[in-house]
Amino acid sequence: MTLNELTPGTACSMADLTADGPLGQRLMDLGFYPGARIEIVRNAPLVDPVELRLDGYHVSIRHSEAKHIEVEL
Amino acid sequence: MGSRNLLVALAGQPNCGKSTVFNLLTGARQHVANYPGVTVEKKTGAYADEGRRVELVDLPGTYSLTSYSLEERVARDFLLGDNPDVVIDVADASNLKRNLYLLVQLLEMEAPVILNLNMMDVAERRGQTIDIAGLREILGVPVVPTKAKKGEGREALREAIRSLADAPSHEHAFRIDYGPMERYIAELEEKLCEDPVLSIRYPVRWVAIKLLENDEGAAELLAASHPEADLVMTLAESCRERFREEAGNAAERHIAFTRHGLCARMAGRTVTIPTDNRRSLSDLADRYVCNRFLGPVILVAILMVLYQVAIVFGNWLALQVWPLWGALENFAADVLPAAGFIDDPLLRALGLWVVKSTTAILNYLPIFLLLFALIAVLEDSGYMPRMAFILDRLFRRFGLHGQSTLPMILGGVYVGGCAIPGVMATKAIPDERARLATIMIVPMMNCLAKVPLYLILIGAYFADTGGFAMFFIATVTLFMALPVAKLLTLTVLRKQPSAPFIMEMPPYHLPTVTGVMRRAFERVWLFLKKIVTVVAAVAVVVFVLINYPGLTENRRAHYQAMQDKSLDAFMSAVDKTGYQGRISRDDVLSIILFNESLKRAKQGVTDQTESNVINARFEADNPVYYAVVKRVGKDGKALNRALKKVDRVRKKVRREARAERFETSFLGIMGRALEPVTQWAGFNWRINIALLSAFAAKENSAATLGSIYGIDGGQSVQESMKAGEAGFTALHALALMLFMALYPPCVPTSIMVRHQSNSTKWMLFSIVYQTLLGLFVASLVFTGGKILGLSGFQTMWAFYGLCVAATLVMALIPTPEETEVAPLINASCKEHCS
Amino acid sequence: MKKLMIVLTLAAMTAFAGQAFAHSPLMSCFDNGDGTVTCEGGFSDGSSAAGVSIHVTDGDGKSVLETKMNEDSECTFDKPEAAYSVMFDAGEGHQVKIDGADIVE
Repeated sequence: MTLNELTPGTACSMADLTADGPLGQRLMDLGFYPGARIEIVRNAPLVDPVELRLDGYHVSIRHSEAKHIEVEL
Repeated sequence: MGSRNLLVALAGQPNCGKSTVFNLLTGARQHVANYPGVTVEKKTGAYADEGRRVELVDLPGTYSLTSYSLEERVARDFLLGDNPDVVIDVADASNLKRNLYLLVQLLEMEAPVILNLNMMDVAERRGQTIDIAGLREILGVPVVPTKAKKGEGREALREAIRSLADAPSHEHAFRIDYGPMERYIAELEEKLCEDPVLSIRYPVRWVAIKLLENDEGAAELLAASHPEADLVMTLAESCRERFREEAGNAAERHIAFTRHGLCARMAGRTVTIPTDNRRSLSDLADRYVCNRFLGPVILVAILMVLYQVAIVFGNWLALQVWPLWGALENFAADVLPAAGFIDDPLLRALGLWVVKSTTAILNYLPIFLLLFALIAVLEDSGYMPRMAFILDRLFRRFGLHGQSTLPMILGGVYVGGCAIPGVMATKAIPDERARLATIMIVPMMNCLAKVPLYLILIGAYFADTGGFAMFFIATVTLFMALPVAKLLTLTVLRKQPSAPFIMEMPPYHLPTVTGVMRRAFERVWLFLKKIVTVVAAVAVVVFVLINYPGLTENRRAHYQAMQDKSLDAFMSAVDKTGYQGRISRDDVLSIILFNESLKRAKQGVTDQTESNVINARFEADNPVYYAVVKRVGKDGKALNRALKKVDRVRKKVRREARAERFETSFLGIMGRALEPVTQWAGFNWRINIALLSAFAAKENSAATLGSIYGIDGGQSVQESMKAGEAGFTALHALALMLFMALYPPCVPTSIMVRHQSNSTKWMLFSIVYQTLLGLFVASLVFTGGKILGLSGFQTMWAFYGLCVAATLVMALIPTPEETEVAPLINASCKEHCS
Repeated sequence: MKKLMIVLTLAAMTAFAGQAFAHSPLMSCFDNGDGTVTCEGGFSDGSSAAGVSIHVTDGDGKSVLETKMNEDSECTFDKPEAAYSVMFDAGEGHQVKIDGADIVE
């Protein structure tokens, strides 16, 4: 399943990245790698973007970008 | 090593307190500029250490060292090209695992690194313990813990710098083992070593790895130096292909994941994290700040506070400071050559004009200072990412970014703002395309300088519906700016790079007073340097345009006759008094000027004793003049009455002459020449002149209108205008207001646009497109309203509806990045790296 | 002028802090020594103050005199016997008040 399908409060770990180019690189640079623990904190008031807790720090990411992150619970 | 000066670079990920460390090391001696040719800020500073000068360069904060962003390129270029003696990697100790990711890349670049574990206090607060000695051993580099915010660690850091610089290690033992990729790296390395220059200049292994990562910057380096660059590139491609087939994963992903795995292992061995999941204060705060309902409310509240403090309080502050500028003007008035009867010597007229134009801008300084300080507080506190988080979805539809909020608020979202700090604030927007879009529309917001004109026009033509009219002009600009932003994004800005949104939301942070004040003053200084000089220069140009060719002989004679007549009257009064023979014709002007000088000297004086002292001084200076001016004695009283008459004539002559000069000036000619075009917008040549003068500064428009209509009797500008433009209707006024709203930014703003976009091309574009847009809208409204036979008021709301509709339509059109989906890759990753 | 005042008050009520700060009102007054007081007015951006209302009020705030700035942005009026104040009134947020005691010769 992909990250954008999860609801706030869920924790998971990353399995794979299906993005290439600048987006993929940026995701990797910010700490998305296989095995990383991700927790969905909340959605923005207008639903998009979504705030994640990644290994102790917070990042926010658009749903269209989260679609490229494959996770397992 | 002795007395050679040192160059030290400060690298690090964002939000790790790098600036604080920088300040800790350098103290107050800093200098902010730009990296050559780009809008990335370069901060340099220095300190003295054991007889040596250590120069510190603060590199932009970057999460990694790829070629994808401008900041990363700048940092890399500096590290490779400028050869620093020491590189300090400032890391957030409470987030070590992620921060190590940058460190290992620096080590791969074979940079002389010191790992600075900053924010140790945060780590301690979270219950983490870090085995520093262990880290040192694993990494093979000096590790220095600091608590820069508390001021701790300066000496340790300076010492580490000293030691490393004096005993540089050339071993570079640190190597990441990339497993199956190693043989491809070796292949490339061999090919690269064929170029002796390249292999000396850059670490070969690093170049090989970068090429396998498909890094653009490395490819450029290669092409610039290697004799057979193409062959090497082909080899690199083939290596990547072969690796992918063999390992089932793309090369760059393998590299990144391997790095992360290594960092995770290193952190796992040296950092102990408490198992209880304590929620930090920031998390708690975010529950409210990012809440679905409270979030927007808090946002609006913060913006209102910003507004009230900066504008309202700033207004008050500006009023207190005004006497300073007033004194400057008076000083100029006293020092420049004396005034004449009909007009003044060139030096005086020009000098006063330039001084007045400059003080008008300087008047903004207290407000800017407050604004910049408040913005610095917002930025330092970490609230900006939250703002982007809340608003991004809305702004994204128009090609803007969540962080476009602040620039637009500053530009004036209801009534009151200034485009100059607005454009300055776009610096923080990470997405280049959205940034440019924001820069292009901020000047369309309601800057305060436009307000006097609105008030005049509304008061004159929409007096009964004033409140609505005000509401209209204040809000319609937003509904014009948003569709325009979208349009620009779809057309002109299409080619601009758009970055992924993903951003960190750092913990909240209490800004320091010194930090905030320092930034505020830096920005004010930048403003003074860049803008005030140009404003003065432009003032000169405007002066020439509105004063020449000047009065014709005929007209001059006409005014001269008025002057002579009034002087005759005065002289006959003199002849009836004891001053006969002591006051000559030439003295009259001098007496008037003496009076003005006396008034200036007493401006703001509220104490009678002080006033008497000044009076005494003037009396001693010229008892005869004083007598006339201050009504001393029977003769003095009589002549005072006569003097008042002459003064009135003089003022009238000057007023009328000025209005005439205006109309026959170059600017007037231009205004007339433009009439055929502007008539569709309902502007006649007089309005054109006012608008042309507004280009120098929007405030000018109201003042110029006043001058043009040559105010008569006790009328206000409104009444004079109505009298002077008998044919004007509310429709004309509406078109004019809309044009003013959209009309190109004033000169200071244009300079700021140029500065932020780093290109004269964009500045010119913003000027041109806004003028055309303004003309188009004004013409649409005026001609449209006329054809449809609508009243001014009706057209107003018809247009409003049109704008809101345009906004909604634009919102529905997808932005370019939403139609390009990043290519999905089917390869699955077989690596588990924790 | 009254119409303008209504307009401006409405605007101020519907806006938050809608003040044109660059358009700061200025006024200075002088006692002419002949029983009259002259006040000169203007705005910091150089706009003319012609036609702007001037209110002269007594110590209790009662109106003593109402006049306007003339085409030269000046007005001269008879100096009141008792304590007085002069207010330059270009609308909400554009007002300057000077105490008569501070107006010297």
